[in-house]
Amino acid sequence: MHDLKQIAAAALAALRARGADKAQCAARFTETHEFNVDGGKFSLFRTLFDNSLSLTAIREGRRGSVSVNRFDDASIAAAAENCLAIAASGEADPAWDFAPETDNAAFSDGEPEADLDQLFDRTEELMRDIAERHPKILMEQMIVAHKKITSVYQNTLGAAYSRLYGCYEIELMFSAHEGEKASSFFGSYVCTDSLEAPFITLGSIEEDLSNVERQLDTVPLDGKFVGVALLPPSSLGEFLGSLLGNFTGDGVLLDGTSLWKDKLGQTVADARVTISSAPLDPRIVCGERWTGEGYPSEDYDIIRDGVLKSFMLSDYVSRKTGLPRAKNSAGAIIMQNGETPLSEIIAGIERGIWVGRFSGGEPGTSGDFSGVAKNSFLIENGKITAALSETMISGNLAQILQNVAAISRETVADGSCVLPYAAFGGVTVSGK
Amino acid sequence: MLQDIITPARALLPGDAHAELRAQMNRSCRVTLLSGNLTANAKSETSGVSARVYRRGVYGFSSMAECSEEAAASVIRAADENARFMARRAPSPDKAPIAPIPAAAAAPAVPFDDPEQKYYTDFARAIDAYIAEKYPNLASRAVIATSDSMEKILAASDGVSGHTASPRSYIYVFLNSETTAGTPIELFEAYGGSGTFDANFTDPAALRESIDRLYEKLMQKREGVYADAGVKTCILSGTLAGMLAHEAVGHTVEADLVLGGSVAAHNLGKRVASEKVSLVDFAHTAFGRPAPLPVVLDDEGTPASDATLIRDGILVGYMNSRETAAHFGMTPTGNARAWMFSDEPLIRMRNTAILPGTDKLEDMIASVDDGYYLITTNNGQADTTGEFMFGVTFGYEIRGGKLGRALLDTTISGVAFEMLKTVDMVSDTVTWESSGFCGKKQPMPVGLGGPDLRCRVMVGGR
Repeated sequence: MHDLKQIAAAALAALRARGADKAQCAARFTETHEFNVDGGKFSLFRTLFDNSLSLTAIREGRRGSVSVNRFDDASIAAAAENCLAIAASGEADPAWDFAPETDNAAFSDGEPEADLDQLFDRTEELMRDIAERHPKILMEQMIVAHKKITSVYQNTLGAAYSRLYGCYEIELMFSAHEGEKASSFFGSYVCTDSLEAPFITLGSIEEDLSNVERQLDTVPLDGKFVGVALLPPSSLGEFLGSLLGNFTGDGVLLDGTSLWKDKLGQTVADARVTISSAPLDPRIVCGERWTGEGYPSEDYDIIRDGVLKSFMLSDYVSRKTGLPRAKNSAGAIIMQNGETPLSEIIAGIERGIWVGRFSGGEPGTSGDFSGVAKNSFLIENGKITAALSETMISGNLAQILQNVAAISRETVADGSCVLPYAAFGGVTVSGK
Repeated sequence: MLQDIITPARALLPGDAHAELRAQMNRSCRVTLLSGNLTANAKSETSGVSARVYRRGVYGFSSMAECSEEAAASVIRAADENARFMARRAPSPDKAPIAPIPAAAAAPAVPFDDPEQKYYTDFARAIDAYIAEKYPNLASRAVIATSDSMEKILAASDGVSGHTASPRSYIYVFLNSETTAGTPIELFEAYGGSGTFDANFTDPAALRESIDRLYEKLMQKREGVYADAGVKTCILSGTLAGMLAHEAVGHTVEADLVLGGSVAAHNLGKRVASEKVSLVDFAHTAFGRPAPLPVVLDDEGTPASDATLIRDGILVGYMNSRETAAHFGMTPTGNARAWMFSDEPLIRMRNTAILPGTDKLEDMIASVDDGYYLITTNNGQADTTGEFMFGVTFGYEIRGGKLGRALLDTTISGVAFEMLKTVDMVSDTVTWESSGFCGKKQPMPVGLGGPDLRCRVMVGGR
């Protein structure tokens, strides 16, 4: 077993010896066990032993970064040498820095030790459950893995952390088939630290399988209408990711292209919208414990009751822009649920669309989006009536957040985020 | 370059099963200047060894972040244990046996050296300074200098062994402005290709003309209009044709996805496109020249050769691993590739292109009374049903056979095997792209290309 604290200390010493004014080191050892299913059959069992060593140095205001996967003395020395050479190639920027001294926390969470026999049994059980309960489903690929990760962070200002954690990940990619008829493919993902429950009960796996089976017979949409888009957690997460990246992320605040650049403390969304980044929430499995710059991770609100409370900024861009730093760099998005049951939301939609997956160009800084509503259903007069093919939706991310029709009481927690079902008005839905 | 620990360790491969042993090093470099701020200045290098063993129709695999004979022995042992576990718990004994390939050695890799980081930063700065000085009215700009490489030493229990190296390098330029209505707009272009950064980029001034053209297009886009939604007669540029070849057709004819239920499963030997459309996944040479990202040997010991997928509109083949080739009774053409030492080989495209026809682009434009010439894309996605969606970042109206106003961002969508049947003109010039990564469990550098195509396709409008 590697002594990562010793390795990190040696790396910092090597960076200092070569002239670094400040430096940080992140070292990680990952052991992965992974079962693969392809085309509905077990295909592969992988065992991986991976190292990661990331060094960053600042010298005379110039910053350089190197990452390698070797822990031996010669590799550390070479990486330190390279890191300072890279820093020297840059230009001085006083905004580069690392976190100050912290309490040197040690973390242990999740399930670090894999139970491979039980993991295999649960995987076999999932395949059996799918075959029995969803016979039209063909599993294009299933990846079930356990990761055990030991990691440390140290910097020359005195911040230091260590952590041992582990989790199980289940990724499914599947479609439904009947003769030559086929549905669009769909993906489900869950991260968990327990093998207590059958996999089919986790996250939205069962619902996803059921929905895809109902998408074998699709109809094209006739014409075009402006209506309600009901986003289940699977597509809501994609939309929120684009929205937050385009309006609150480092790049758009640094270059000043964010539509929300002057909106901190102002209303940007319907008052029912509260979105947090919360890696410490118990529903998030093995969330981030420290940021890439060495600050302890804390939960924070991005939008609370419709008001923009924080951008998602690194310490560097915070110093460049004078805007506050985000309290973590994790994602771990949690959107607060509403009061309305999903069935009532559907019952209240006169004309709309259920968007299981969005296949579109990454929206730009304008927030305009346009793309195919995959795995979608038409909603008419309060009922889901038909699965749709070749149907496009378009709108604007900033505008739909102000045009919330309803947010569901139900949420789905997949270990990486917690999201409700959200209905947004003013979305253009167009057929062939 | 990688030290050869594979040749002495290959004797440790099990004698009673198909197996592979691979040492690999990946290197990458990235310099990002965002409106003049050096936001990324980093290098990465990873290396290690992996082994894969095949027993009773299932694989065991193991990797370790160390290039030594001891590590090689460890991963062979662990991979074999994993293969035996799977053979015991979940065998597929009915699978056709993997056909042997005669033993041979591939031509040795050409050694290469990555330039110092300063070469990247100086080059990026020179380009950024040119843009900042000449075009101060831009809302923002970004210059990214980047390179990556894979170097592999492979020994398989049968087939071709060898030492391969494949560096590539690019400069991306992003220019941002606003329309007259205040809507942010962006255009970008990638320059470069196979080869090291200092071989591909010797003089920053050589890119100025291309950047000037990109800026000119951005200014046209400032005055641009939204495309009308609906099914339109369009000319897709070679860039979009390449995206179509890769995303909407190529993935559906990867044999593992065929077994996973792709639309190609029911279409082998059938018409899937007009007779003007032929599609090939080129290995290392295309149209008498080196392909954008040449592949001579895959990671299963199969020497790389071209895979013809569509001939004159008929689907005639799939891309295979050795295992799927045995299943389908086809000949493997070297498509099983791994991104890093810790990755198992997957069926991947190499340089996938629609073949050129005989039409001239100007005649194709002149033939369209009311439609669009769609030129650049920033994004493409497709389903295993062949349903696709591509983002279009630049194009023009065509009215009365002449190019009109520039277009704002739009999308096109359709079902590949239906849309390709509407292709009725194919230009005589192929445009290649190679800067991106294909994503399929692992990333993979790929080339994609095609000629201009005239077709009927759904345009998203606003």
